[in-house]
Order: sequence, then structure tokens, then C-alpha cells
Amino acid sequence: MEPASAARVSRRRLLGGVAGLGLINAAGIGLAGCATQSASAAQDTVPFYGAHQAGITTDIQDRLAFAAFDVTTTRREDLQALLKTWTAAAEAMTRGAMVPGDSHANEMPPADTGEAVGLSPARLTITVGFGPSLFDGRFGLAPRRPAALTELPALPHETLDPARCGGDIGIQACANDPQVAFHAVRNLARLGRGTVVTRWTQLGFGRTSSTGATQETPRNLMGFKDGTRNIRSDDAAALDKHVWVGTEAGQDWMRGGSYLVARRIRMFVETWDRDRLSDQEAVFGRAKYTGAPLSGKTESDNPDFTAKTADGQLTIPEDAHIRLAAFENNNGLRILRRGYSFTDGTDARTGTLDAGLFFISFQKDPAQFITLQRKLGTQDALNEYILHVGSALFACPQGVPDASRYWGHALVEG
Amino acid sequence: MLPRLITERQSLRASSIMGSFDRGIAAPILICAAAVLAGCGRSDTAAPATQPATEVKVALSEAGCEPQPASVPAGPVRFMITNSGASHVTEVELLRDGKIVGEKEGVKPGSSGDLVLRLEGGGAYSVHCAGGARNDWPLAVTGGGEGPGTGPANATLAAATQGYHDYVVTEVDQLVTSTKQFTDAVRAGDMEKAKQLYPVARVHYESIEPVAESFGDLDPEIDARIDDVDNPADWTGFHRIEKALWQDQTLAGIGPLADKLDADVATLKSKVATETYQPAQLGNGAGELLNEVSTTKVTGEEDRYSHTDLWDLAANVDGARKCFELLKPALEAKDPALVRQLEARFADVAGSLSKYRQGDGYVDYSTVTPDQRRQLANAVNALAEPMSQVAGRVV
Repeated sequence: MEPASAARVSRRRLLGGVAGLGLINAAGIGLAGCATQSASAAQDTVPFYGAHQAGITTDIQDRLAFAAFDVTTTRREDLQALLKTWTAAAEAMTRGAMVPGDSHANEMPPADTGEAVGLSPARLTITVGFGPSLFDGRFGLAPRRPAALTELPALPHETLDPARCGGDIGIQACANDPQVAFHAVRNLARLGRGTVVTRWTQLGFGRTSSTGATQETPRNLMGFKDGTRNIRSDDAAALDKHVWVGTEAGQDWMRGGSYLVARRIRMFVETWDRDRLSDQEAVFGRAKYTGAPLSGKTESDNPDFTAKTADGQLTIPEDAHIRLAAFENNNGLRILRRGYSFTDGTDARTGTLDAGLFFISFQKDPAQFITLQRKLGTQDALNEYILHVGSALFACPQGVPDASRYWGHALVEG
Repeated sequence: MLPRLITERQSLRASSIMGSFDRGIAAPILICAAAVLAGCGRSDTAAPATQPATEVKVALSEAGCEPQPASVPAGPVRFMITNSGASHVTEVELLRDGKIVGEKEGVKPGSSGDLVLRLEGGGAYSVHCAGGARNDWPLAVTGGGEGPGTGPANATLAAATQGYHDYVVTEVDQLVTSTKQFTDAVRAGDMEKAKQLYPVARVHYESIEPVAESFGDLDPEIDARIDDVDNPADWTGFHRIEKALWQDQTLAGIGPLADKLDADVATLKSKVATETYQPAQLGNGAGELLNEVSTTKVTGEEDRYSHTDLWDLAANVDGARKCFELLKPALEAKDPALVRQLEARFADVAGSLSKYRQGDGYVDYSTVTPDQRRQLANAVNALAEPMSQVAGRVV
């Protein structure tokens, strides 16, 4: 038995992709007659290795599984071992392979939990980030904490539930298949048992933004397109300016990384649904169905924030969401949004839907988000219908270049 | 009573056909898509079915579940279970000496399912289906020995299994004594004394629970919770008396239940006297004890009236620890890193539990906050994960 090669058998092949479906790693085992990676498998796979982590500028997938973990060990070796194990497992899963290890020995629990067997890799990406709390005294990492990585300050219009906040390590798994995303988080949690405990998790059932150059803007649960002017993956200049950490961090391990802000934003959808259409559009500053700014005709039209109606009022109102969030009105400040709609059943206290936006943004400095939220949290017309209830900040390190390195290598080694 | 009432026991069976304490006559066979893989040079050995399974057809009907053929040679047997329209008969159990060897649930009308077991031990088995006009159908297994467990070749493992036998016998001896002290108080109508002795008596049951659960009806008779019984009037055992003591606050009419509890633990004593074990059963049994803790004990379901859950929980952990200690010499040779990891995590669990010690026992579980319970569950889950690797390492 050679566990490593077992893991290299793709999930599809295992369940019966007789021809052409399998993603077989060239493991040097006798593969005569077996197809190598097919075109469709390639399209379903996002490369794991690279200068940046996948799952940031990657064309945003349809589904999210997010988990925040707390580390329970105090030994740095345990943390290193965890990150090595996680990296190998994440790399395998994003290829569509099973978690490394033996999944076929009758007397052992399978190394992989199995629910993704037979499924496409579904463009799975797994992105890791480290919370400010990881840099306390436990692992001797305090000297490596970038100045930018401190807990988010109290922000306006938030009522945070501690059970949905923070975490030593964050894992964002995105895929076009919810089961594939769930499988990734579940298996990492399992591999980490004894070293980490799950602090909170969040599933997202639908993307609310676009990051790809050609991706259409989806609608949020309020029925609006909110994310039209997101930074797109082909805009290298904007990414370097706003998203990727460069030399300014003062920490080599973050160069090429980015800061992830997660906010669980509850939407009061019942009250929103009772608001008249014209007011809904005034709140966002966009037409509900076309997505066009109220000053324009099509979604892609740039908003004209000076435009006025016949009676002299601002066409896009003073407190409209897009006016307050626009880079033109924030000294050029931009963030990369990558959020997902969620619902977690009903609010037991009120009987209303517990639903909203699991906001995720990437930026080279958390200050970008803080600046925007200080403004939105006090002025945005949308505040009547939303409340921030969960919050976390994670420093997502640079990408893993190849199999000789692992997540956070430069942070926890040496 | 039909042997299908205890959720605890069902989870035992579902989770560990290999490891349930059933004398090692059943081992699962992983039937995988070997045909698909043929020719693709997978270097792992996912297709262990070198010995073809004997096929037995079991057609569920309102009449029952007659196996065809009714006699098979020892070795792998594939039960092909079909249900063409029997809505009351949807599950099958294979029993030997009243103990469950394997089962298949949820075969609804119009569906089918396979149950693959390795039947090494020759002799009389029965195919059991609740709800049929006739519940029990004989199945003879010819040839075979006393099972793969005529004794482990390895002396270290032999010492482990013998040591476990001795441990179980000792625990059940103590169970008989401690239960008698408890039931005497119940019969005497001494509520306070009975309340004091209730958790003390149970400790010796909880430490060997998977063994007791392998004896079909016995565990439900002794340890069923109210939600495990179809008819509350048929409810017997520790938890029935627990409810009388803490919730009903009267022992009127409980005397016969106390007598029956004594009789049931005496039966358990006679059964474990001749029981033998396989090394894998120790590993899997330990895992089952920890799974018990993390799913039903930590939630406070087990002792919902008395809130003495921590006594049970600690006894479960002790039972798991015993299995581990016995297997340690063998495990040390195979995987010393796993031994060290388990040692450390047992110590973590012990540390977590020690916070709740009070006198000779533990604090009332209702005073343990949700956060504290979650912390306990985290520690136990962290232990259960490497424990799940043990059985595979020692066989």
C-alpha cells in the first residue's frame, strides 16, 4: 500500500470516470491506457501554487464555506505541523484528489471523509489567513506581527456577537459546488483536531460580487447588483495598488499577500421587502432591474454624482450606498469585494429570516476597510436595513510557490 | 422486546461492524469499484475481495425475511436485501447467540441494499427482521473455526485481549455489587441514599458500555433512556429509576424495577465471564466510548434528571484509557508517535475533567456552562481522532 499514490487518484476516476474524466497526477505508476488531465478537468481546477494565494482574485466561485479556528496548542512545532498537513491536503483537494493518506484500509477510518468522491474539483480554492490573536505570546510570533494587523476597532452600526468574531486562523473555501467547499473545510477541521478547534463557521450559498473580467454582477438578497465597480482580476495596476501587500508591510511573509476582512451582515429582509421600489433604488443609488446608476442607463455607466433631477435634487442621493462607497468620493480608496449571501434559518427571537451578506473584502491594509466602514456605518441609507453582527480580520500570507513550502512557511519557520 | 430500541446501540453497530464486541465473527469488506480501476495501475490495494463473497438473497416481505440459501460456507457473505412492498419490514439484522453481527436498516419498499460480512465462525445464526409475521429465520454457516480470533499470534496482543477480559469481568463484578447497594436503597425507599449511590453504581457500566451493548437486548433493559423505548410502560433500568428519584420523587411501584435491574446485571456478569475479545475490538471499543462522550454525554442527555453526567463521562474515558493502556505495548512497536499523541490527549481530557471534581465525584452537570461543555467536547474529540487510528495499527 502506498498511501501517497492513493491520494493522487482523482475522485472522479475512483467512482468510475472510465475515460477522460480523471485527473491523474503523473505519479509514475503504470497509467497505460488512462487519460491524463482532460480539458474539462483543467477548467474545473484552479492552480494551488503561485505567488499569490488562490481565492482572492480568482473569478469568484458560486459557493463559500468559511471557518475560523483557534489554536489550542502552545508549541510552535505543532503549528508548523498543522500548516504543513493542511497545505498538502488543500493542494490535493483543489486538484480534486482525496486527502493524502490511506482511504482504503478496511480497519482504518478513511483519510478522506469521502463526500466529494465523484464530484468535480468545481474550481475549489482554499485560502488561509492568520488573525491578530495568533501573534500573542504563545508561538513567539509577536515580532512578526505586521503593524497593520491589529483587531478591528469598534465601528459604527455594529452589534457583534462574540461567537461569530475573530479567530487565530481563517480558512476560506470557495467552489462551484457547495459540497466540495464544505468537504474542504470539514477535512481541514478534522486534520486539525487536537491542534485547533473550530471557533465559528459560515456557509455562503451565492456569490454577491464579481472578480473576473467577464463575470456578470450577481444580485444580493435585496435584489440589487451591488459590486459592479469591484476591482477585476485583469486590472493588475489596481490590484497592486489596493489589494496585494508590497514592501510596505515590513514583513516578508506578507509580501504578495492580502488582508481579509469578514463581516457577517444581517439583512432585515422583511422590512426591506416592505419598502417601495423608488426608495429601495434611492438607498442603493441604482435601478433595481437594470443595475444602472440612477444617473445613467446601463449597469456599466459610471455614476455621475453631480447629476441633479429637474427639481434640483441629487439624482444619486446624498446617503445612497454607491455614493458613499465610491472611490471617487473616498480619495481613490478601493477594496476587492468577494462576499456571499447566507441564510442560517430563522431568528428564534423574532421569527424573521436570519439572512444577509457574508461580506469578505481583500485589501493591502485593513485601514482601507476601516475608513470606508466608518463612513458607511454612520451615513449609509442602507443602515436602516442591515446590521453587522460578526467580524474577523485575517492576514493572508503570500502564495505557496511549490511543494517544498507551505502556508505561512516564512512566518512560522526560523 | 425487539433488539432495536437503543440509539446508542444502533450507533455502535453502524459505526463499527468490525469492532463491535461480537467475538470477531464479522469483518467488513470494502467493495469498491475495482473493475473500473482495473488497468489503471492504481498502486494501492483497494480491492481486497480476493475471496468471492457467497451471495444470500433476503427478500423482505410481510411474512418475514427468509434467507436463500439458508446455509453458507464460512467466509465473506453478501446479503442482497430487497423489499418489493413490505412497508413494516425494512431492516434486517444478522444475529448469533442473540448478539448482533451486522445489520441493514432502511430498506424501504421498492428499494434494495447489500450487507457484506465476513462470517468466520461456523454455526447457527439467525436473520432477524422486526415487523415480519415471523421474525427469526435460521442461517447456518458451515466450516470455519471459532473465528479469526482463535487467538492472536502475537503474544503482546494476546496479553492485551486477556487483560481486557479480566478488566471487564472485574468491572461487571463491581457493577453487580454497586447496583445491589443502589437497588437495596431503592427497595428500602431511602431516596437520599439511592440518589447518592446512583452515579456510583453506573460507573462500572459506563466503563465497559460497548461490551454490554453487544449483547442485544441487555443494554436497553439496563440503560435505555425514555426516548429509546416505544412504550414508556416497558421502560426499565437505571434511567427509569433515575426519573423516579429526581423527577417523580417517589419510589412507589419501583421495587420490581430494582429487582429486574439486579437480574439484568447478573445476566451481564454471566455473559462476560466467557467473552473473548479481538485486539481491534479494544481499539474500536475505546473509540466508541469516546464517541459516546462527545455526542450524548457532553450534551447532558444521558442523566437528564440527576445531572450526574460527569460521572458517566469520566467512566467512559476510563474505559477507553484502559483499552489504550492494554494495547500500548503493541502500539508502541508500530507507531510510537501515535502513543505519545494519545498520552498527551488523554492527559488533556483528564485535565479538563479535573476542574469539575467534587468530593469523590463530580459537580452537578447543570452547573457546567455551554462554553465549558464545548471545551470538554473539544478535548474529547481531539482524543477520539487519533484513537480512531489505533485498531488499524494493531491488526
